[in-house]
Amino acid sequence: MDELRTKAKELFEKGEIDIFIGYEEGTRNPRPLFANNADETQKLVFNDMCTGNLAVYLTRKDLVKGKRVGISASYYALKSIAQLFVENQLKEESLKVFGLSSDRKIQALNSLEEIKQYLKDTPPPPKLKDDELIKQIDEMSSAERWAFWSDELSKCFKCYACRAACPMCYCTKCIVEVNRPQWIQPWASTLGNMEWQINRVMHMAGRCSDCGSCGTACPIGIPIHLLTHKMSETVKINFGDSSEKGNVLSTFKPEDKESFIL
Amino acid sequence: MNNEFEPKILAFVCNWCTYAGADLTGTSRIKYASNVKIVRFPCTGRIDFMLLLKAFANGSDGVIVSGCHPNDCHYTSGNFHARRRWILFRSLLDFMGIDIRRIQFSWVSAAEGAKWADIVNTTVASIRELGPYTEYQRAGDFLANNEEELAKEMEVNNG
Amino acid sequence: MSKIGVFVCHCGENISATVDCEKVAEEASKITGVEVSVDYKYMCSDPGQTMIKEAIKEKGLTGVVVAACSPRMHEPTFRKACSEAGLNPYMCEMTNLREHCSWVHEKGDQTTEKAIDLVRMLVEKTKLNKPLNSIKVPIHKKALVIGGGIAGIQSSLDIANAGHQVILVEKDPSIGGHMSQLSETFPTLDCSQCILTPRMVEVAQHPNITLYTYAELEKLEGFIGNFKATIRLKAKSVDPKLCTGCGVCYSKCPTKKIPSEFNEGLGLRTAIYTPFPQAVPNKPVIDKTNCTYYTKGKCKVCQKVCPTGAIDFDRPDEFITEDIGAVVTATGFNVLKPNFFPEYGYGKYKDVITGLQFERLASASGPTLGAIRRPSDGTEPKKIVFIACAGSRDPAKGLPYCSKICCMYTAKHAMLYQHKVHDGESYVFYMDIRAAGKNYEEFVRRAIEDDGVNYVRGRVARVYEKDGKLIVKGVDTLLGGKPVEIEADMVVLASAGVASHGAEELAQKMHISYDPYKFFAEAHPKLKPVETNTAGIFLCGACQAPKDIPETVGMASGAAAKVIGLFSNSELTREPVVAVVNRIASHEVSTCVGCFLCETACPYQAIVHEEIKNRAGEVIKTVAQVNPGLCQGCGTCVSFCRSKSIDIQGFSNEQMYAEVMAVLEA
Repeated sequence: MDELRTKAKELFEKGEIDIFIGYEEGTRNPRPLFANNADETQKLVFNDMCTGNLAVYLTRKDLVKGKRVGISASYYALKSIAQLFVENQLKEESLKVFGLSSDRKIQALNSLEEIKQYLKDTPPPPKLKDDELIKQIDEMSSAERWAFWSDELSKCFKCYACRAACPMCYCTKCIVEVNRPQWIQPWASTLGNMEWQINRVMHMAGRCSDCGSCGTACPIGIPIHLLTHKMSETVKINFGDSSEKGNVLSTFKPEDKESFIL
Repeated sequence: MNNEFEPKILAFVCNWCTYAGADLTGTSRIKYASNVKIVRFPCTGRIDFMLLLKAFANGSDGVIVSGCHPNDCHYTSGNFHARRRWILFRSLLDFMGIDIRRIQFSWVSAAEGAKWADIVNTTVASIRELGPYTEYQRAGDFLANNEEELAKEMEVNNG
Repeated sequence: MSKIGVFVCHCGENISATVDCEKVAEEASKITGVEVSVDYKYMCSDPGQTMIKEAIKEKGLTGVVVAACSPRMHEPTFRKACSEAGLNPYMCEMTNLREHCSWVHEKGDQTTEKAIDLVRMLVEKTKLNKPLNSIKVPIHKKALVIGGGIAGIQSSLDIANAGHQVILVEKDPSIGGHMSQLSETFPTLDCSQCILTPRMVEVAQHPNITLYTYAELEKLEGFIGNFKATIRLKAKSVDPKLCTGCGVCYSKCPTKKIPSEFNEGLGLRTAIYTPFPQAVPNKPVIDKTNCTYYTKGKCKVCQKVCPTGAIDFDRPDEFITEDIGAVVTATGFNVLKPNFFPEYGYGKYKDVITGLQFERLASASGPTLGAIRRPSDGTEPKKIVFIACAGSRDPAKGLPYCSKICCMYTAKHAMLYQHKVHDGESYVFYMDIRAAGKNYEEFVRRAIEDDGVNYVRGRVARVYEKDGKLIVKGVDTLLGGKPVEIEADMVVLASAGVASHGAEELAQKMHISYDPYKFFAEAHPKLKPVETNTAGIFLCGACQAPKDIPETVGMASGAAAKVIGLFSNSELTREPVVAVVNRIASHEVSTCVGCFLCETACPYQAIVHEEIKNRAGEVIKTVAQVNPGLCQGCGTCVSFCRSKSIDIQGFSNEQMYAEVMAVLEA
């Protein structure tokens, strides 16, 4: 913990960063901390409790525009950061990334290559509860699944917290704001909510880090992170772990398999 | 006159293979069910998944998506991109309980006039069996779905 | 406000027999925004078109929907008519009441209702159509021809003779290709080199042709009319400006035992060499993998003996870039490599050779000066067996296709053999004799009837050596599968024609497609045989599929004609059905966030990076931009874009959405 504080402080003192995005102690769980100078870094903490995906702040222009940023990144945040690099949203020279090594030491990750290596070497934190829930839903009949999701999504009132929490939702104009044509019903009907979630999940396909922040952010606890978790699984089963360039929907293999096209 | 249910079906097809294939069905005078209306796209890669959902939301009971066979795409790879899209889209819809039996995907080349007639006829028959797709449309009707609750709320508000 | 005209065609009775056209017109007139709706017997006829034109002028129509046959048939007709009446042609759409309705459904209310729906869909789409203007692309009038075989030579000469600059790139030290290796050519038995070498010289001397031998395409960027080609000039180690081609170097070169590629391994060459005496250019290169100086660091004999000091060991590969308007790909083919047929003993027995090796034996310029001799002991073979379809038409071995030329050259080989070895006996094992071509069948008959070649219909199962003879075991299927065994002195395999080495890499460099056998794919198997799926890149010769010389030359001239046609205008006009990235309101605004996933999705490399700058010249953001010269209008990027920042003209999101909604809301 002291190690990260020292490192962040050092970066400020050497004039290498303008802001450090990390965690500080919160009431129950650690919460985000935006340190703007060396002194403020002394509140930083970084441990296994720090699961919120801080990568979401890297594309918030009001926060980081024109600034050199230091960040402590959890496993999933690192996945998001790697994808953001692929999508031309980050610059290596203005970003200092720190992860947690397997023996819980602070590990500086100085390039996209190092982040990719880290992700290759590190097993993703298990999602036993989510896997179990997905199994339950998979075992339902189609009608039961419909009943489950239409009930869950009937509660949504389109606050878009799921969007705000997601590092990959950085479009300046989201599809829900596109009105020529009006792709997604603007009012909060079950169907409009479904349309939004289907769009969100399709847009995440192959890009999603599977961090689950969307579900955590939902103020009424709709398990929408199961949709992205399931999507990540589907992508993995059908197309393997990740493609080198672009994402699963912008690339293809002639030998891709399906069973439903006549 | 029978009272059989006549499903409304929209077909999303590419210009170069399936549209031309359906043209061949016509020039060959092969008869098929008139329930299907074709929307012409340049390529299956152009077909937005939202249009399929919009079709269901607005009263379509079934949907056909059809384009060039793999390796035959006029634009070399639009159908490969589309295929990936449909693999994920279909799995997502299924997970959400949306009835994927109502979406028929096919490859119909410009030479497969008979296959097109066949796809249309079998799709119409299977959708006819499934009946109208009202669940999905109904989910869009905010007022009807919440009538009771809204009425209560109004009562409260009006004191 | 839209003023749409709907024109319903009866197509004689083709539509009106099952669709109530009057009712369709009547119902269409009730759709909001429809100004005029009429039906007529033949809309495509002169009076029909006049009807549309007059309506446009009189009613001030903003859009036209013609409900008739397939747009694949008459869309250009009606768009032209609209244009003549002063309406932008892209404001005209067709809906297909014939192929998709009247011809496929029985007469009845349902059929008419479907027709009405089809019209409604297109009316709603047309309301959202925007006037579009054809795209003009400037053209750089210089052609790049890749491959210096007969295809590339013919194409280059045709283009150059039309007055355009040509750059001809050949990977080997000389142009000439496989044709220069052939002895005589079917069906006339004229000498291959005699007809080819004058063309080779013409290429070298043509003022409009720049020839780069020992060179390869390194990179191709850009698009039709505006390619940028990077060419690697492999170091020849001999300065062509100083070299006079005197040949002292290769007569003194101590490394003499390298199998000659030109002689298909039947002859030898030195490390510094010209491939053959008539090579163009007739200047040697050093084969670095075999030269003692390059492999062991000493020798330099050639440098010592060269009278002009032309040898330059240290010169690296050079790269040049050229602005090109069109590319002709003429990279030819290879013959299937021998280890493919273990049952025929190729490689194991010296006297089992390929057809191309036989060409060298029969050639007056070959290693035996035209005498047919066994490679093993130099004796004259008295009994020879030709095996057709060695690899071709063999799905089990992965080559189901017919190599097309083997039947003919096998007949030629047998004939040449009989002409040279008068007391010799020749056998041809074949599956079918495919001699479709002018004077081809007659040629084969001559081999059989006049020259006494024995044709045996059946496949050879095995070839093995016994007492210095090659035992050929096969069956004669015309005699009910009777086993045949021939004690031959020599066996010639008509090995399959396959794609040339590196074809796949080259195709990927140029972004053209290829078939499972790595032959380049034409844009349309019937109607666009010399085009590729990438505009401005053309094909000719055996790189597309195995083919003989006349066909290759015909195709080469065809490709040249396409290039000349392209170069006949200073600008290229293209359909404006292309993608665009939105730049709404002021110039500085685009909803594109620059993730560039569209870039990886685009099959045509049409997405480029555009930097949006503020007044001070600083980059505000980088967004996608579509190069309309490259975009072919598939729209894959459009449905892929999350923020809907990219759209396609003519099939826009709004248009397609409206079309889908129209039918269902009714």
